[in-house]
Amino acid sequence: MTLTAQHLSEQQKTALITRLQALADDEIILAQRDSEWTGHAPILEEDIALANIAQDEIGHALMYLELRAALDGSNPDHLTYFRGPREYTNVQLVELPRGDWAFTMLRQYLYDAYEALYLDALRASTYAPLAEVAQKAVREEKFHLQHTALWVERLGLGTEESSRRMQDALNTLWLYTEQLFTRTQDEDALITAGITPDPATVKARWEGLVRAHLERCQLQVPTVSPLRLSRDQHREDLIYLLTEMQSTAREFPDAQVW
Amino acid sequence: MSVKTGDQWPRWEVFKKDNDRRPYQAVGSVHAGDPEHALLTARNIFVRRPAAVSLWAVREDDIVSATAETVLAEMGRDNAGKPMHGPAGVYHVGVKMTHKRSMTFVDLIGTVDATDAADAMRQARELRPDALAWWVIPDSAIARTEDSEDTVESWFAPAAEKTYKQQQYYGTIGRHVGELKRAGLMPRQVNETPVLGAKHVRPRLEADADAPNPIAQPMTQSTAQPTAQPPQVTE
Repeated sequence: MTLTAQHLSEQQKTALITRLQALADDEIILAQRDSEWTGHAPILEEDIALANIAQDEIGHALMYLELRAALDGSNPDHLTYFRGPREYTNVQLVELPRGDWAFTMLRQYLYDAYEALYLDALRASTYAPLAEVAQKAVREEKFHLQHTALWVERLGLGTEESSRRMQDALNTLWLYTEQLFTRTQDEDALITAGITPDPATVKARWEGLVRAHLERCQLQVPTVSPLRLSRDQHREDLIYLLTEMQSTAREFPDAQVW
Repeated sequence: MSVKTGDQWPRWEVFKKDNDRRPYQAVGSVHAGDPEHALLTARNIFVRRPAAVSLWAVREDDIVSATAETVLAEMGRDNAGKPMHGPAGVYHVGVKMTHKRSMTFVDLIGTVDATDAADAMRQARELRPDALAWWVIPDSAIARTEDSEDTVESWFAPAAEKTYKQQQYYGTIGRHVGELKRAGLMPRQVNETPVLGAKHVRPRLEADADAPNPIAQPMTQSTAQPTAQPPQVTE
């Protein structure tokens, strides 16, 4: 059965708004971190490539926020530029400081693999507008994944230094991956109705995919348990990230054109 | 895996095919460590907006080029002074026919069977004697994106839906150049006195060569020029 906004119960609507905002927040914060490389990436080609990836992620965030706007009349710009760190619901994986190139590429790879698989599952959403958005976004995500998988491989199998940096990055980042697959508030109501995929199912596919690739790249997945975090918990880093990202909007709240 | 030349990654020429009816066209180059990396960066740089269905990347070392002016083909050397060596087999022929188009350098017009690069160049020149420049590329040197539906969908399809925002879409910070011109605040000719705020700066003359440049004033006075005058500014 295909659902539209009129078919949603109040509980489903609220839960969907929470999930859409979580999806958008991950994209926004990751894109902001990626954009910190603009003008600083190791070579010009990768500088442009990462800026492209960041813009694509922002584009996905906008699609989610427009779906939210259709449900509650919220304003995507306002949600992005005028919420504080306590109101953001992104995972900590994306707010960790940018680190070196190995860290950046590995984080992006782990995230791209998650997003590509999440979107792949989301294509089957019974909520028609969401299935449509997933269908669009998944294409770009598959390309991102190819690009970042290549970097993980080249650095993992590269020199002693590049492989050490990759392994260091993996030791840190792996702890933060669990959070991508935790359910949002009342998400059960969405999963039962086939509106959003069960994160546990996505996680099973994700683990299979990334573990195989990391192994191919001679990287050791840490054996310690990943951190169990809620989307309300943030690092201090998010405060500084938002301060910079929102500074212009907050300085000129009445600006008409961006 | 990767091929290094000095401390730079090698340069790859990128060819883009807009649709099934168009030829592969040279669109520019990327530096990359290997063929797959070259294609990935090429997609990011050359296919974010415009339409495309396929990309090729070829290391510059594998391309033999010649121009009508030099006709170095006769001497067995190409534009870069390299001998026209290359394997026997299929070569792609690229030609530059006009100076008019700024985005496209060379279109690939077809293939020839040749005994080596010099032979391919000879055939290319026979094929299009009126070209401004010819490129010949061994088929074996080309890195290609896959033709699978999945690759076309993820590499190329999203670009078709993205639109440009023209510059005038954005507001202007400060005053627009056109407005300054209409108000007579912009110099019309290069030798006209430029306006810097409310002050007119005296144009720098040949005879002033030894005087301090009023624009590029050093932060501190050089001890070698204790008598240097401050820039002359007239109201």
